Amino acid sequence: MADAYTLPAYDPGQRNPYLPYAATILEVITETYNIKSFRIRLDDEKAHREFAFEPGQVGQLSLFGVGESTFVINSSPTRKEYLQFSAMRAGEVTTALHGLQAGDKIGVRAPLGNHFPYKDMQGKDIIFIGGGIGMAPLRTLLLFMLDNRKDYGGITVLYGAKSPEDLSFMYDFKEWMARDDIKVVLTIDKEAPGWEHKVGLIPNVLTELDPGADNAVAVTCGPPIMIKFVLQALKKLGFNDEQIVTTLEKRMKCGIGICGRCNIGDKYVCIDGPVFTQAQLNKMANEM
Amino acid sequence: MSNKFISHEKLRDWLEDLSARFEVWAPVNTGQDAKGVVVYRPFVRDGALEFARKPVESAKHTVFPRSETLVNFKTGAKDGKPALELHVPEDPPARAVFGLPSCDARGFQIFDPVYNGSGTQGLARDNYYLRRRNATVLIVKACSKVLNTCFCNWVGGGPACTEGADVLATELPDGFILAQVTARGEAALGSALLAPASDSQEKQARKLHEEAGAALCAPPDLSASVSALRGKFDDSAFWEAEASKCLSCGACTYLCPTCYCFNITDEARGVLGARIRSWDACMLPLFTMEASGHNPRTGKIQRLRNRIGHKFSYYPSLHNGRIACCGCGRCIKSCPSSVDIRRIVTDAIGITGTAGLKEQKNG
Amino acid sequence: MAIHEQLKKIILDTLPGVECVIGWGPGQDALHGSPVFMRKPEDVDSFMDTPLGAFGAVNNLALFLPELSGKKVGVVVKGCDSRSIVQLVAEKLIKREEVVIIGFPCEGAADLTKIEKALPEGREAGEVTGAAIVGETLKLSLGSEEISLGLADIKADKCTRCKTPGAVISDAFAGIAGKAPEVRDEYADLAALEAMSLDERFKFWEREMSRCIRCYACRNACPLCVCRDHCVAGSRSPHWITQTDSTRDKLMFQIIHATHLAGRCTGCGECQRACPAGIPVLLLKRTFNRGVAEIFGYDAGMDTEATPPLLTFQVEEAHIKEREWQ
Repeated sequence: MADAYTLPAYDPGQRNPYLPYAATILEVITETYNIKSFRIRLDDEKAHREFAFEPGQVGQLSLFGVGESTFVINSSPTRKEYLQFSAMRAGEVTTALHGLQAGDKIGVRAPLGNHFPYKDMQGKDIIFIGGGIGMAPLRTLLLFMLDNRKDYGGITVLYGAKSPEDLSFMYDFKEWMARDDIKVVLTIDKEAPGWEHKVGLIPNVLTELDPGADNAVAVTCGPPIMIKFVLQALKKLGFNDEQIVTTLEKRMKCGIGICGRCNIGDKYVCIDGPVFTQAQLNKMANEM
Repeated sequence: MSNKFISHEKLRDWLEDLSARFEVWAPVNTGQDAKGVVVYRPFVRDGALEFARKPVESAKHTVFPRSETLVNFKTGAKDGKPALELHVPEDPPARAVFGLPSCDARGFQIFDPVYNGSGTQGLARDNYYLRRRNATVLIVKACSKVLNTCFCNWVGGGPACTEGADVLATELPDGFILAQVTARGEAALGSALLAPASDSQEKQARKLHEEAGAALCAPPDLSASVSALRGKFDDSAFWEAEASKCLSCGACTYLCPTCYCFNITDEARGVLGARIRSWDACMLPLFTMEASGHNPRTGKIQRLRNRIGHKFSYYPSLHNGRIACCGCGRCIKSCPSSVDIRRIVTDAIGITGTAGLKEQKNG
Repeated sequence: MAIHEQLKKIILDTLPGVECVIGWGPGQDALHGSPVFMRKPEDVDSFMDTPLGAFGAVNNLALFLPELSGKKVGVVVKGCDSRSIVQLVAEKLIKREEVVIIGFPCEGAADLTKIEKALPEGREAGEVTGAAIVGETLKLSLGSEEISLGLADIKADKCTRCKTPGAVISDAFAGIAGKAPEVRDEYADLAALEAMSLDERFKFWEREMSRCIRCYACRNACPLCVCRDHCVAGSRSPHWITQTDSTRDKLMFQIIHATHLAGRCTGCGECQRACPAGIPVLLLKRTFNRGVAEIFGYDAGMDTEATPPLLTFQVEEAHIKEREWQ
């Protein structure tokens, strides 16, 4: 008898995408009063060694009994000792996460989503523009580029936050500022005692910095209001929408394009994103 | 293979016979009187089977449970160190669903590509769905009547459509004629209780199929829905007018055979717990609420727009034009405010005086 | 002039001063009406333009007022609906001056469940292809079949015990309000439930709640359920309600809902009407309503100046004699 419709097969050997890897926290870093970073290692040594991801991909961290939440893997694929995630304390999962310490168990489902188009960026000047916790996804790409430094042109990093106390990854910045192959600019919104760097809103400092748009790519992530004005500033500086790359945050659950909540029109942030160029975003439904 | 026949008197014997190999589900009147609410329930011999009135709910939960465990976990400590144990539940039993309408069976075809990992090019497939789907035999009962809210023929179905069915059952005055549709259907038809169907029974069944098909109005052409809804996305006046009366409850989504969205949450008691997945609905406010408090779909207008957009624009644009609606009409029938999905889609396309929508004023 | 024509005239007169007037228009078939938001004069054409007319004015349109607060809107109300508005005003959930209330002498509204039950065995409301009200009967066609039902038999239960057929408050009224009927709510529906043993009653609720699909139509159809996007049912922390498919937790939610409505529920019955699974959830609310009436002598939705008894407290309650408790 003809069976015109082929039912998708069930293969019991297929990897279960909902089953997290068990992992152990190696180190908890207090970045700011409400941001902590977690360095974790998968308990299965073989799985950890074989774990591969691309810069910009995300993962679901599990606290069993509390739930899952999505974070970008902000360590670099070139540094395999641990996976780093950073979380700002906001909801139920992040609050519980902030209570964990080295040695505690955690679940991780990763890698999920797409990644930064780092191959298309080769040979170009790169400007990173990060605000607050928005530096996390930029960190993974920046570390990756520094480990493949010869593939890229000039690299500029502009990072800002409300106050010095709101800046994360200062252990990295100390190192990066000591290097002569990248330019680093830090800024805070208002004067603060002892502050030796720029003072001013990120879009204004960006305009002042005036990185050339010619053969350049801007990678930006931060709060929506910052992004709005950064985009305006980049436009004035001559960047077109193809040259602007950003990464989105949405409420996600499955992370594999099934559960249906992170869509923007017919695009799913968990599989088509989280990384998009501004040109791609312009074509998407206006529902951010 | 020739068609089979089971008399009304022997139906329960046959379903009992099937129960040896399958967990059998069927529509049951669960109310206090002859007009109680009809829903799907596991078959029991003395249950109030009902095939005359359409079940209020779809048969979705027979393959995609309202809530199911993804992972059982045990946290706590072992030898003074933090420990974690994870277990995936055993495979569920094989099921046979008897008496679901064709629209309900076709609904699963909307699930199939998504749960088979179409979004990740097959890298991440949903084992939980696929194993139940493959272990379930669908014995569709051809509809002998159509309701005011039925519009299966708008979206490629019909009262006796065999798409999605493993066996097609047609109710005759004295019993059911059973036609095998797929190889999987054979497993349900291997019973000595079934008699071969006679030519006159075959003829009666065909006549019933034709009559029910003729009772449906001519369908409008919905092929423009993908672009029309894309074009209407930013038309806030349009969506405000369509959504004003919506209550933003989950009745439409939870009764829908094709709505497939879910949530993942943990339920724990001490160190033991389960990560479960349960039905979720884009009509509910928390569906897209982010931890920061930001919600990309702030109100019922944006939520209804997403529901309609998903079914008639986003899904078809990703799945070869197939509309993610099977026309069962439950969302209309059970909407406390009579929100009519047919109206919204035809309004968006700009089809006025749609033949398929009966003149409402005079019924 | 027929009542619905008078109402149309009032609506047309009201429209220029308001964002919209909410009334009843056609639904998906002859038996169903549907809320209609009239913004332009031509929208008024469809008002009550249905085979059931005012008898099909089923939805309680007061439901939509809190979400429209800040805008001035008109709303057409049955007597029972007006009580919801009174309660919303009393609780300061809407502003009286933002609502133009249009009343009419209601003669009762249809109960679709009763209509379906009155049809021959195996037939359902969705098969009704035509309807007309002739005198005191509803004439239905199901294809070529004709069926007549007495209006009194298919009226909602709340109509048979209604003491406010006209609006409790209104800014405009079509026709003349009849005298309030002398009816007493005997809570006969509760008596049947309470005649059961505890065990039987629990089984009753287990059976009924087992059909719950957790769509929360009951909650969202309730005009007094104003937590809306912040309901305990969605709260993960604290985790009041499980996400598992648990009949007990579904009942638990209904009890929370009913408790939250104690001394606020006007008995409009929209929760039960909205339930796709036909669960008699109004029984729970009516249990509380009776208790509130007995203990506090309070009937919700009758006085905009009243303070609902559970939103305040008295050092000495008139009907709670703690000092006499043994």
